[in-house]
Amino acid sequence: MDVLISRLKKLDRRWIFLLIFLSCIIPFWIPSLFRQEFSTSKETQRVYDIINSLNEGDAIFIDWAFNPTLQAELLPMAEQAIKQCFDKKIRVFIYYPDLTAISLGENLVEKIKKEPRYTEIESGVDYIHLGYLPIGVDMMMFSMYSDFKSTFGKEGKIFKGIKTFDDIKYMMSFAGSAHPEYYILLQRRFGFKMGVGVTAVTGPDFIPYLQTGQLDGMLFGLKGAAEYENLRLKNLNLSTEELNEEKKFNQQANAGMASLTLSHIIMFIFIGIGNLIYFYERKFKKSN
Amino acid sequence: MKKEIPILIGFFATIGWYLEFFFAGTFFENWKMFFTTGFRSVAIVSLIVGIVSVLRVNYSKIKYNNDRWFSVYQMCIIALMIIFASLRGVSPGTPFDAMFTFGFIPLDATVFSLLAFYVASAAYRSFKIKSIESAFLLVAAILIMLSKMPLGEAMWSKIPTIGEWIMDAPTSAGKRAILFGAFLGGLTMMIRIAFGLEKSHLSD
Repeated sequence: MDVLISRLKKLDRRWIFLLIFLSCIIPFWIPSLFRQEFSTSKETQRVYDIINSLNEGDAIFIDWAFNPTLQAELLPMAEQAIKQCFDKKIRVFIYYPDLTAISLGENLVEKIKKEPRYTEIESGVDYIHLGYLPIGVDMMMFSMYSDFKSTFGKEGKIFKGIKTFDDIKYMMSFAGSAHPEYYILLQRRFGFKMGVGVTAVTGPDFIPYLQTGQLDGMLFGLKGAAEYENLRLKNLNLSTEELNEEKKFNQQANAGMASLTLSHIIMFIFIGIGNLIYFYERKFKKSN
Repeated sequence: MKKEIPILIGFFATIGWYLEFFFAGTFFENWKMFFTTGFRSVAIVSLIVGIVSVLRVNYSKIKYNNDRWFSVYQMCIIALMIIFASLRGVSPGTPFDAMFTFGFIPLDATVFSLLAFYVASAAYRSFKIKSIESAFLLVAAILIMLSKMPLGEAMWSKIPTIGEWIMDAPTSAGKRAILFGAFLGGLTMMIRIAFGLEKSHLSD
């Protein structure tokens, strides 16, 4: 036992790295490794319901505040939100408060447009990339409430009927930081409805705002993204054949869930081993 | 007057924006647009400052052979992206976009994903039950992790509910306390800046 404990204690961290690496990679080849059924949280359901309740021609503002570092969790959320808007023929305004996010967003929309369901989607009519503004969120909001179109200096049919931010029915902020708090602070002043899509790490920061009603919904981490994917697919009312076809384009977050599960199991095992060593040594020291 | 005038501007700006927040219409609409344009101008100047700074730092590194080849490589990549963006634009399918998609995205994502490996290694070495408090922390952490993966729900259907309660009640209570403290601190700082008691923004 002593030899084993001693070996485990001196375990090279590269073995841990290797196991974590394998636990992340293997499930992508064997997706059926774990049971993939899970319930939908009320926060995810709320985001879906709000967007679903909007009418054709309504407008939604997407604040795309994440760069490639967070794309594993946030890209599938943004993808499903944009697709749900396209399904409902809701106009989508995408704003990027981070310069490195622009190409990520543009590429995602181009990818969506290649899918059979969205070939008719047009830039400047159904959606528009508003680009980046080198000003703070507060200044931008005040400006958008004065004149929405001139804030961004863009043109297109999509702006028809949108004079100020009051004409935007809902906004979603996707971020892996406290960035959406800037909007939440201004939300009391202007009274707009908003939801957030955040990483599992930053999610707890926004729960107080959900409880006060300042946030209308939240997509929380990779699980939130997977729930949203399932919810949207389930409500498309497609035949089994069509559903299988759609799944090819809408399983990015679900594909990561098995990887998330296995890597967490590895973590649990290592935490358990670490504690075992600690208790064994404590007992050994006491007996000596 | 070198100090008094900026403090006076700061005072009126703070009070103005503070009132605008509570009473819509404190500022005329065209004033707000004026401020927005003003901020953009400031951002452009800061961009120029940034470019000059990058050039100066890398010039001295190249000249004095301090990581020379790294600086040369860095400057070449920056120059290449600027040239591609100027010649062909930045929309999907352009060379700039290819550099972003096949260079920046994988590198950026890779650097961040390294965290997972370090977190696992750190958890193994330091996440130990040394006291009652750390036992609570460990149990709560495991329940939260289980609630955020399908396996937890498969093990016991109540796990997501327990995870939700931990997030909604104890975690949220702690967060609220932190938020109250932080925002009260922010409010105090605002008052100090408005009345010229805090001068760090004036390089004092």
